[in-house]
Amino acid sequence: MKITLSVNDRSVDVDVAPSTMLVDVLRDELGITSARATCGVGLCGTCTVLLDGRPVSSCLLMAPLAIGKRITTVEGLPDDDAVVRCFSERHAFQCGFCIPGMVLTARDMIDTGRANTPEEIREGLGGNLCRCGCYVKIVDAIEEAAR
Amino acid sequence: MTADMRRSPGPSPADPRVVGGLDYSIDHHVPGAWHLRLVRSDVAAGRVVDIDTTGVESDVTIITPADVAAYGTFGCQIADQRVLAAEPKFAGDPVVAVVAPTPEAAREAAASIQLDYDEAHGVFNEFEAATASAPLVHTSHASASGDAAYFAMRPLDGTNVCHRFRIRTPELRGYDEPELIRELPPLDDATMSDAFAGSDIVVEETFRTPAAAHVPMEPHATTAQWVDGRLEVITGTQTPFNLRQDLAALFGLDPADVRVVAPAMGGSFGAKTFMRTEAITAVAAAFTGKPVRCVLDRDEVFSEVTRHASTVWMRMGATREGRFVAKQMVAYVNTGAYADCGPGVAQKLGYAGVGPYRFDHVAVDSYCTYTNLPPAGAFRGYGAMQSAWASERLVDMLAGELHIDPVELRRMNLLRDGDAFCTGEIMHDTHFEELLDDAAKAVAWNDGRDGKGVAIILKGMQTPSRAEVAIHALPDGRFEVRSATADMGQGAPEALTRMAADVLGVPPEHIVVPPPDTDLAPYDTRTTSSRSTHMMSRALAAAADDLRANGTVGHGRIVNDGGLDPDTGTGVASSHWHQGAAAAHVDVDDETGIIDVRSLYATSYAGRVVHRAAAELQNEGSMIMSLGTALFEELTYVDGQLVNPNLSEYNIASALDGATIHHRLLETPGAEVHGLGETAVPPVPPALGNAVASLGYHPCRLPMTPERVLASRVHPRQEAP
Ligand code: FES
Ligand code: FES
Repeated sequence: MKITLSVNDRSVDVDVAPSTMLVDVLRDELGITSARATCGVGLCGTCTVLLDGRPVSSCLLMAPLAIGKRITTVEGLPDDDAVVRCFSERHAFQCGFCIPGMVLTARDMIDTGRANTPEEIREGLGGNLCRCGCYVKIVDAIEEAAR
Repeated sequence: MTADMRRSPGPSPADPRVVGGLDYSIDHHVPGAWHLRLVRSDVAAGRVVDIDTTGVESDVTIITPADVAAYGTFGCQIADQRVLAAEPKFAGDPVVAVVAPTPEAAREAAASIQLDYDEAHGVFNEFEAATASAPLVHTSHASASGDAAYFAMRPLDGTNVCHRFRIRTPELRGYDEPELIRELPPLDDATMSDAFAGSDIVVEETFRTPAAAHVPMEPHATTAQWVDGRLEVITGTQTPFNLRQDLAALFGLDPADVRVVAPAMGGSFGAKTFMRTEAITAVAAAFTGKPVRCVLDRDEVFSEVTRHASTVWMRMGATREGRFVAKQMVAYVNTGAYADCGPGVAQKLGYAGVGPYRFDHVAVDSYCTYTNLPPAGAFRGYGAMQSAWASERLVDMLAGELHIDPVELRRMNLLRDGDAFCTGEIMHDTHFEELLDDAAKAVAWNDGRDGKGVAIILKGMQTPSRAEVAIHALPDGRFEVRSATADMGQGAPEALTRMAADVLGVPPEHIVVPPPDTDLAPYDTRTTSSRSTHMMSRALAAAADDLRANGTVGHGRIVNDGGLDPDTGTGVASSHWHQGAAAAHVDVDDETGIIDVRSLYATSYAGRVVHRAAAELQNEGSMIMSLGTALFEELTYVDGQLVNPNLSEYNIASALDGATIHHRLLETPGAEVHGLGETAVPPVPPALGNAVASLGYHPCRLPMTPERVLASRVHPRQEAP
């Protein structure tokens, strides 16, 4: 089916099977590789995108369900985004595979006032796994970005 | 479309890894590539008697074992694997490959193929595999000839043991001993009674660790194509040159006619080493005449390669005053259906289990055994974790028997500069005492020791090994550093940039580091065992000197000689030693057995630090991974079938688990660079285990799940006898 999606404030037309997951549309149709399917079952957060500003697992969201909503990937954050800056400056990454999802989750936590303490930040990251184990620096980066 | 959706390089200092600007193997697309799916065995052992492909569309290429029978066997240390298995040896062994124009078509075709088997009995436990009655997984043993087989193999014909590594310190040699110890030796065993004669107290125990998964977030992703008779492979790998050698051998090519390009990996931890999906992908490209792409599903990644399960039996004797006299160890290392680098793991596990201590006598037998489980290979720590778990738990048991403080007992026996290790090599640049004291201090050891535990380890670096690097002066005044050091998230390009800038005396912006490409980069042993930063720091210095002398291209080559005799363990195990300690403070709920980690600390010897943030991340990441090893990570098999091949049933640590972690890098300005990729892995589980044991439990088996902790309760509370 032909659908129109709003991705990073641009309108894009794609032709996909109705059951196609959003992560596959982003990667295969639009070439946005920052959304990554790792677990495929909504547990790891590497496929996180923002849908009208709220994080969702794009591995579980059928693309047509995103019609009419604003989809934001890490590429769509402003150049001076504080989360991006703090992750970069604090070197809060190793391989980086999980990081775009972490950044978007953090963006939402900060926007909704749920990044006030390290404990709160850790809670908020419960659905974002980092096998490289960068959590110490990730939590520090989010704490700083929230200030 | 692709390019303009990307962030353009603007004024923002965003790191490409933060904003999705880095291409991993999975992001590399070769135009016109077809897609490969594997049909895998449902049975753990047997023979495929029928392959029904009637449901497959005509435009799909089907490759069966018979089609690839002309290809030989491969394997980095033992040539025991085939491109496709007519006689599958584990549940998940690839039997048939299908190649189709789209991923969906390939998936559909693979699902429609029916396999019929003549099923056989399998063997799954490493200890049972060594018994006389165990079915043989392989009927014969064939050592490999490539560079990854860097020591003499001791396969025991007619058994499942594909390699036996032994240490016998001088006075324990020359006895008539069985090749394979199938029962744990009694103390009055003629050979060993001498060794323990000087001991007042002897303790012994059997310790177990399970198979575990690396869980790289990016799955294995490989693209292969044939270009003018040359094979080109783009794949996430820590071992580009080993892979080139093995692929060349498989296809009967000159290694120069195989090109391996290794883009950045979204994690590896050992999972992307040696031949993985590359062989079948290259074969499929040859069959179809097209570029072929193979990306594994998550459940397949869980069985592609695992960490060696182990059964380690250990005995230790000491004088009443606490001087260590003798250690004996018999270890069975479960390498699964194919040896991969299991022989090397068995060796490293063997000497790491001796620990950083002086002994009068050491006897080690470490057996790498085949079973009908998925192959086990390199895993962060390379066997050192499995034997440190045994060794450091046993030291605490001994301390209990001797009524000596465990920290004090360790201190009395630590290796110091000038001491001989069990291999005969003389220790230098030792920092064990400092590390031990630092760890003890971190948990306020002297303010009461209930709930506290420490552990200390040594771990070898890949030896022998060889590293080469080339520095090319570019016309624009910059320098290109060509090396095969792979980027798996440890910050290799950054470290190379900094070290090169340093030796050339130019700013880091003048250094360019392309990803490993065997057509361009000079040979390198591999990016494993935390060796690369150390070896490259030395090779770069040599390359810079050469560049100064020769103008446009500088070559640097460093060779570390060494290796161990497989029958006595004599030689050079490691050209320098990774040294680390850990301390833990825990509570245990005595109703539920749940361990609450109040604090976890690791301290690792770093020598000179090249890139502080990256070094800290290696230490933190090792600790967090090892916390999972200690408390919850385990691949569970029932009759050889993996029951938890997904992240909902196989848990890995989350941010919530990282709350109590602290660590330190012990630095010596101007010292040698020490790799840090794994040093904090082995000491964490025994530090936690000893902390749990201090509260009246006796954990011998990882992970320490609540049920196991409860079952290990010592009644009454463990007290001085
Ligand atoms: S891939 Fe979507 S949550 Fe893991
Ligand atoms: S940085 Fe590698 S998984 Fe998080």
